[in-house]
Amino acid sequence: MAAPGPGEYFSVGSHVSCLTCLGQQLQGEVVAFDYQSKMLTLKCAPSSGKANVSDMVLINLAYVSEVDIINDRTETPPPLASLNVSKLANRARSEKEDKLSQAYAISAGVSVEGQQLFQTIHKTIKDCKWQEKNIMVMDDVVIAPPYQVENCKGKEGSALSHVRKIVEKHFRDVESQKSVQRPQAQQTQKDSTLSS
Amino acid sequence: MSMKQAGGNRKPGSGAGSSGAGGSGGRQNLGRGRLSVKGPSAAVVCNGVYANMRMVHVLTSVVGTNCELKVKSGIVYDGVFKTYSPECDLVLDAAHRKSPGSSVGLRQEDLVESIIFKASDVVVVHFRDVDFNFARKDNFTDTAVGGRINGEHKEKDLEPWDGGRQQHVVSGSLESLDTDVSNGWDPSDMFKYNEEQYGIKSTYDSSLSTYTVALERDNSEEFLKREARAAQLAEEIEASSTYKSRVALENEERSEEEKYTAVVRGEREQHTLNRENKYIPPGQRNREGMSWGAGRQNSPRLAQSSSGPPRPGLHDYSPSSGADQRVVNGGATSCPSPSSRYQSGPSPLPPRAATPTRPPSRPPSRPSRPPSHPSAHGSSAPISTMPSRRMSSEGPPRMSPKTQRTPRTHRVPPGSRVPPGGDFMSHNAPGEVPVPPATRSSSSGGTWSSVVSGAHRPRSPRQNSMGGASPGPSPQTGSASVEPVTTPMSASSPAAASPAPNMAATSVEVKDSRIQETRHNSPTANKENVKPLESPPSISRPLSKGPPSMAPDHRKQIDNLKKFSVDFRLQSSSNPDPQFQQMMTKPPRDAGEKSKELPLDKGSEEGPVVPAGGNKPDSPGTPSSTLCPAPEQNRGPDVTSQGVQTSAPTFSGGAKLEDKEEDDPDQIRKSTLNPNAHEFKPRVYTPQPKPATTPTPPRPQGQPSPSIMVQQPQQVYSQTVCFPQMYPLTPVSPGVQSPAMYHVQMPHMTVSQSKPYRPVPNMPQQRSDQHHPQGTPTMMHPAAGPPIVAQSPAYSAQYFTCSPQQFTSQQLMPHYQSQAQHVFSPVIQGQTRMMAPPTHGHPGQLVSSTTQYGEQTHTMYVSQGPMPQQYAHPNATLHPQPSATPTGQSQQGVQHSGNHPAPSPVQQHQALHMGNQPQQQMYQALAPTPPSMTPGPNPQSPQGSFPSAQQAVYLHPQQMQHGYNPSHMAHMQQVSSTFRSPSLHPEYILYEQAHIQSGMVPSHHGNPGHPQMMLMATQQQGGPQPQLPQNALNPIPVSSTTHFSYLAHPQVQQHHQQQL
Repeated sequence: MAAPGPGEYFSVGSHVSCLTCLGQQLQGEVVAFDYQSKMLTLKCAPSSGKANVSDMVLINLAYVSEVDIINDRTETPPPLASLNVSKLANRARSEKEDKLSQAYAISAGVSVEGQQLFQTIHKTIKDCKWQEKNIMVMDDVVIAPPYQVENCKGKEGSALSHVRKIVEKHFRDVESQKSVQRPQAQQTQKDSTLSS
Repeated sequence: MSMKQAGGNRKPGSGAGSSGAGGSGGRQNLGRGRLSVKGPSAAVVCNGVYANMRMVHVLTSVVGTNCELKVKSGIVYDGVFKTYSPECDLVLDAAHRKSPGSSVGLRQEDLVESIIFKASDVVVVHFRDVDFNFARKDNFTDTAVGGRINGEHKEKDLEPWDGGRQQHVVSGSLESLDTDVSNGWDPSDMFKYNEEQYGIKSTYDSSLSTYTVALERDNSEEFLKREARAAQLAEEIEASSTYKSRVALENEERSEEEKYTAVVRGEREQHTLNRENKYIPPGQRNREGMSWGAGRQNSPRLAQSSSGPPRPGLHDYSPSSGADQRVVNGGATSCPSPSSRYQSGPSPLPPRAATPTRPPSRPPSRPSRPPSHPSAHGSSAPISTMPSRRMSSEGPPRMSPKTQRTPRTHRVPPGSRVPPGGDFMSHNAPGEVPVPPATRSSSSGGTWSSVVSGAHRPRSPRQNSMGGASPGPSPQTGSASVEPVTTPMSASSPAAASPAPNMAATSVEVKDSRIQETRHNSPTANKENVKPLESPPSISRPLSKGPPSMAPDHRKQIDNLKKFSVDFRLQSSSNPDPQFQQMMTKPPRDAGEKSKELPLDKGSEEGPVVPAGGNKPDSPGTPSSTLCPAPEQNRGPDVTSQGVQTSAPTFSGGAKLEDKEEDDPDQIRKSTLNPNAHEFKPRVYTPQPKPATTPTPPRPQGQPSPSIMVQQPQQVYSQTVCFPQMYPLTPVSPGVQSPAMYHVQMPHMTVSQSKPYRPVPNMPQQRSDQHHPQGTPTMMHPAAGPPIVAQSPAYSAQYFTCSPQQFTSQQLMPHYQSQAQHVFSPVIQGQTRMMAPPTHGHPGQLVSSTTQYGEQTHTMYVSQGPMPQQYAHPNATLHPQPSATPTGQSQQGVQHSGNHPAPSPVQQHQALHMGNQPQQQMYQALAPTPPSMTPGPNPQSPQGSFPSAQQAVYLHPQQMQHGYNPSHMAHMQQVSSTFRSPSLHPEYILYEQAHIQSGMVPSHHGNPGHPQMMLMATQQQGGPQPQLPQNALNPIPVSSTTHFSYLAHPQVQQHHQQQL
């Protein structure tokens, strides 16, 4: 690979293990390495365990105490695919908005259930926002705490019934997935604690 | 690490992203080197991380994902990865400091818009659950897809397709497709199937509540506004020709086979019959036209039959050669039985054609017959005499003949039935058959004939046959038949025929000769005319050989449907010409002799006599007399058909009664050549046209375009004012009548517009201005034509409808330029669209193109459209020039358009406007055509179209009102459909115009629109280019703005005032 710099410290595709100055052990496959900035990018196993995704770690080798090459790359790295920049930009924007929205809800003291419901509705109907602790959908339907189906109020019409369907389905899904979600949530919490 | 809040969203990332996207390409983007510490080279060369393709790729692919960034101090920040710098400084959006203990959640106040982390501060950045394929562009390449396949992927075993034999779906097999006549599934079947197969219950609920949220209607201002906007858009769309044509594709009743087949089928008759009173789409009209051709073929038979009887045969032949259809009809009526025999023998094809055309006519004719003389056959002679008498009287008989002609076609069958009576009987038989019709014809028959003439050719035949059948006194019918035949020969022939019949009726062989002369003249002027002229000779030949020759010709024609119109004219004319020429050379008597010769088989004696007797004498009483007339009539028709059409019409119009006129129309219909003749006819038709007109227009429209061009013009002239104007421009002028017509019309126009006279004067000016000496003059004539239209609104309407189509077709036809010009106005619409853009872009080009095509006038309209309106408006509202706001505007517009092309728009325009305004008015008079144009433009809404549309709009309203109001509302309505679209547009146009005016006005005033420009669209002054922008701008406002043209005007006025 076209590793930059005088010497190739890391070959793309190699598996390395690092120990940061903060005591965090990181291991993964080298995706890229920039000698000048001493930035190393590793692709790690996904923390969520989901398929088709993976974690990516950007490491500043300036703060790494140990670097072990577990195994060198065995084959030439695959060619780089072109990226859809606009898609990335959109993702960045929407992610940011979601986070801001979530922050707003949290700061407003909205319950987790409410936040989840909001996220669910938001997937279907973009035109929804927080109004105090109420979820305002299309400026027409208001969902007040505790955000149950019966809490959906608004002008009788297809819009209201539509929102109710979404809410109803949301809680039904939540119930069915609770068992799965809880463990995950715990994991994330653990991870966060570990990382922090 | 240094944490900074970026004032705004920095989107270096986007740049980085792009750079990253290309890998190497990213370097270029990196250009923003400011961030790059390394310095100077940063701008151009990819520095630092940016130079590392893989690093760029990886970092870019995780843009927009949530990440946890740990800094030296151990503090963790959570945010959305936004971008990175060459130095690998990182930017997180909506970041917040993650406090170890607080799992509660982030608070709004904790969030930071965005934070830039210096690379030297970053220890580790953890991106969770990243999908590296998220932004890959090659998601659908084999590699990409294959790489994401889960689990084992093995190829499936291919199974042979059994051709649907095993399908259990109801009517799902391919076989059913072949045998199933139904057009797809019935909705209820589909619903049922979905419910059974998928458990989906379908409804007609348009709200689609199952899938989405229904639209909540309320009375809020916003909603109403949006609703209005939606309605407006819907109107625009539905008014567009494109939309209509596409809808027609789906809704047209005719099958594909029916539409495009070159084979003429007898079935058509049924169709025609069924649709006799229905609106016939342009395409179908063409077909009908085809059927006409078929009819013509039939006519040959008829002609033959007629020929069977000495003279009738001659007539028939001549008709067959010239205009088969007409001839057929006429021949049938005149000498149904005899002719039918002969024809049938000689030309197999004719039968087909005849059948189609006949069917329609037959039904009517038959009915008529029975009523009048159920047992008439026996006493047919008397009856015939009766009708003949009535008919023979003169105009009426002639009219009846025409009408009869159609009946004749019908009759022909009867005649064929009667064959035994054969030639001799034929006279009687025809007479008989006709007789009833004759009676009718005399009374109602005349109307029908008129209607027919006014109506489409195809229909006209039918109608004629109907009427003719009733009136169809054998003698008269014979003459009529002859006339029809001649008419068929050339489009113009009809006109000529009409005159000829009239002449014959009046026993004016001399007239025929005159007509012939005139024909010759006209022919020279118009190619078509010339052909018709030739046709007459052919007629003479036909007597001897005509029928057979005709049949082959017809066949050929049939073969080439598209070419048909042209071919017909050409071929028929050519064939006829020789024959006719012979005839011409030979005195009518000779013709009679010839007819006799042919007839000899059956009734040569009578034939000769008949000729001598003349149509009139014959008509009154004996079949023989009928025969004689027939020859004469034939001659007359031939003559008329050939060149005289124009002259003939005049004659007929002047001397003959309405019936004659009707005949003329018929002839005109058939004979595209004589525009003038048409004009005359229209007048005549005006009274009766409504019924027939609707049907007839379609027919002419369809086929006429190519070969019929001439015919159409004629029709146009006679029928539609607007078109007539157009036509006049064409050679048609030859006929003196047309001028007269124009003059008459002019008054009308003037009345409506109030500035009619100016237009006339202007016309000349325009011509000069336009530099289209011939074309413009013709245009001028057309202008005159409009008045005519006024006279017979119904016709105009019909023509309008037809005209567009015809025009379109014609537009394509370069040859027609002269005629086309007139016609083109409608056509222009399409062209305008085309043209308009060019005009804007390349004024000069537009002009040239317009000139070449003869469409110049049209183009002028188009281009002018915007300009004219402006001018006109200024004049009317703001400016002193107001003389003819509407018409003037249109005219002005036209002129402007011409001017616009020129680089120096304003000055030229002004000059043009000044001089041309009158001319423009003239155009406005022509308005009818413009209206047609407008529709086209409207669809084209775009800049080019708008101008034209605007012009057209103005013209239309005025024209419409003028012409329509006077004439027939009903007809108007029909036409209105075509116009409606334009009407919708007018408002827009008005706006546009208004805008344009505002912009343009300055230029006109000579003030390079400093203020004006500012207010409206400064572009105007800029010259052509500026104008273009303005146009574009204008349209937009229009669409957006309300429909109120008036409002627009006020605005314009204001602008003007300001400018002033």
